[in-house]
Amino acid sequence: MRSTIPLIITFFVGLFMVGEFFIPHWRYRIWTAELLEWGLILAAGAYMLGLANLIQVNLPKVMKKERDWGYKAVMLVSLVVTLFIGFHDGQHRHDDGAAYKWVFEFVFTPLNATMFALLAFYIASAAFRAFRARNVEATVLLVAACVVMLARVPMGEAIPVIGDYLPRFMNWIMDVPNIAARRAIFIGAALGAVATGLRVILGLERSHLGAD
Amino acid sequence: MRWLLLLCMLLPSIASAETVVLIPPGSAPAPQVAAVSDLSITAPEDNDGLNLDLAWTSVEGAFAYAVVRKRPDGDWVLVSETLPSGSDSFGDKVTTDAWEEPPAGTYDYRIITLAELPPTRADDITDAERIAQLQTLGLTSATVQGTPEASLVRTQMGALALMALILGVGGLMLWFTRQARLGKPIEIRRIPGIDAIEEGIGRATEMGRPVLYVPGIDELQDIQTIASMLILGQVAKTVAEYQSDIIVSCCIPIVREVADEVVKAGFYQAGHPDAYRPVNTRFISSEQFAFCAGTNGIISREKPATNIYLGRFFAESLILAETGFVNKSIQIAGTAEATQLPFFIAACDYTLIGEELFAVSAYLSGDPRLVSSLKASDWVKVVCVCAIAVGTITVTLGSTWLQELFTIAGG
Repeated sequence: MRSTIPLIITFFVGLFMVGEFFIPHWRYRIWTAELLEWGLILAAGAYMLGLANLIQVNLPKVMKKERDWGYKAVMLVSLVVTLFIGFHDGQHRHDDGAAYKWVFEFVFTPLNATMFALLAFYIASAAFRAFRARNVEATVLLVAACVVMLARVPMGEAIPVIGDYLPRFMNWIMDVPNIAARRAIFIGAALGAVATGLRVILGLERSHLGAD
Repeated sequence: MRWLLLLCMLLPSIASAETVVLIPPGSAPAPQVAAVSDLSITAPEDNDGLNLDLAWTSVEGAFAYAVVRKRPDGDWVLVSETLPSGSDSFGDKVTTDAWEEPPAGTYDYRIITLAELPPTRADDITDAERIAQLQTLGLTSATVQGTPEASLVRTQMGALALMALILGVGGLMLWFTRQARLGKPIEIRRIPGIDAIEEGIGRATEMGRPVLYVPGIDELQDIQTIASMLILGQVAKTVAEYQSDIIVSCCIPIVREVADEVVKAGFYQAGHPDAYRPVNTRFISSEQFAFCAGTNGIISREKPATNIYLGRFFAESLILAETGFVNKSIQIAGTAEATQLPFFIAACDYTLIGEELFAVSAYLSGDPRLVSSLKASDWVKVVCVCAIAVGTITVTLGSTWLQELFTIAGG
């Protein structure tokens, strides 16, 4: 019974939501919007559980001074401070001069940008490994990547003889083999998504229902 | 003289009066362009009953067009005032409030042809005042009336083709499930990336280190996250059977809650409920790069032997995978996000591309009923390949009927 009721709910709600695409009537859309609203409320409630999980995972390690406890202490202090000033500033937290906005602009945003900037270095190291000509396929990838990179910078067009042809070759690579491969991935993924959705709606997949 | 004085006293109060009378159609103080003369209105087909389409012939010399609407229960409102000079159609949604029942009846529309750039709208001006202001800059068309029509079912060929596709997959799935029940073997090709998941868990067990599982960073309703949760169940079961440890790093709180239940179920099914540790299913942060930093911390400090990234990823994919590479973990990734696949292919040992992600849970379970669904989508893929081949030929020959069959107007 513990899994039968969720399976029945999944079946009817799944069919109902799929029906939204085929039944365009505005009244049907109001019903589906209502269901989605419930989902949003549940998701918002889960943030409280997420907060509890953060404390449950990190606080004991700080209390027992386990390995790397300092990082966790910084995280917990940041959490408490941000929460406090967020509640303190209330509706005015986004106003100029508000402490919450200051934290967002001068602490969170630079840290976020730092993480994003790391990507440049990681791309370089991953490209170095990916573009080694170990076999025929890797060599084709290397040549295609060199053509695209050269054609996208002014220096590429300045190369004598081949400079004029590089942008055209690059466009061909991007528009023909690249798009063909992407479309194949999209079609396969779309069919896989339909099959997965049907498996869940029809109750063939049950591992998401949790423990009995 | 007394009358003149009275008039001077009254003029300011007349100018500041709040009631604005709309100028009748076809008349304006300084018309320098013609009014739209052939305005027509239609209710689009296969519609939710909230849309009306306006069409007209664009006027020579017009600077822009403004569209005004009057609902059955209301006054004239400004719908748009920024349609560029060459415009000859406009699709209006009579209400943008998802919860509002649209008032029944006819809706009136007029188009104001503007001869020049209107002044910037002041914040405190009402729609009626703005409409009156715009009418002084051009000419107003005659009123047309239309009634939105709600369709009960989409009848476009594209929608019917999509319905046929879903029913086709469902029908084939049931057919192959029946075949599996009758004991007929269903063979599917080996997928090295999926086989590597079990090898990776075995490696983690031998090394005495945990397995890290990242289910992407998207919401639970995303199909890739759902697929990832289904795979997590199988992975957790295998981890429990090997008596190893699994850390699940989540970006969305509700995903963590579901992941926690799924991991718990996996440990119960494997007969090791005592080995399940709720603190190992962790919510990190709902901010993309904060989550990325937290997960990188887990990779660097807890040194998992195997990292499994399955779900929907964005810019954090390479940062996670490269950190795992530096940490010398075996890495298995899978996503249907085409922009992130090259990063995973470059940085991970095995990558599940697109549809392979959706095949993992069925493949790992070995349940003939689930494997039959893979067979079904494979057959639909054969149909799609044939349709692409036939479509290429027919379009080359100048026929577009197959193209139209797969076109869905209006989403």
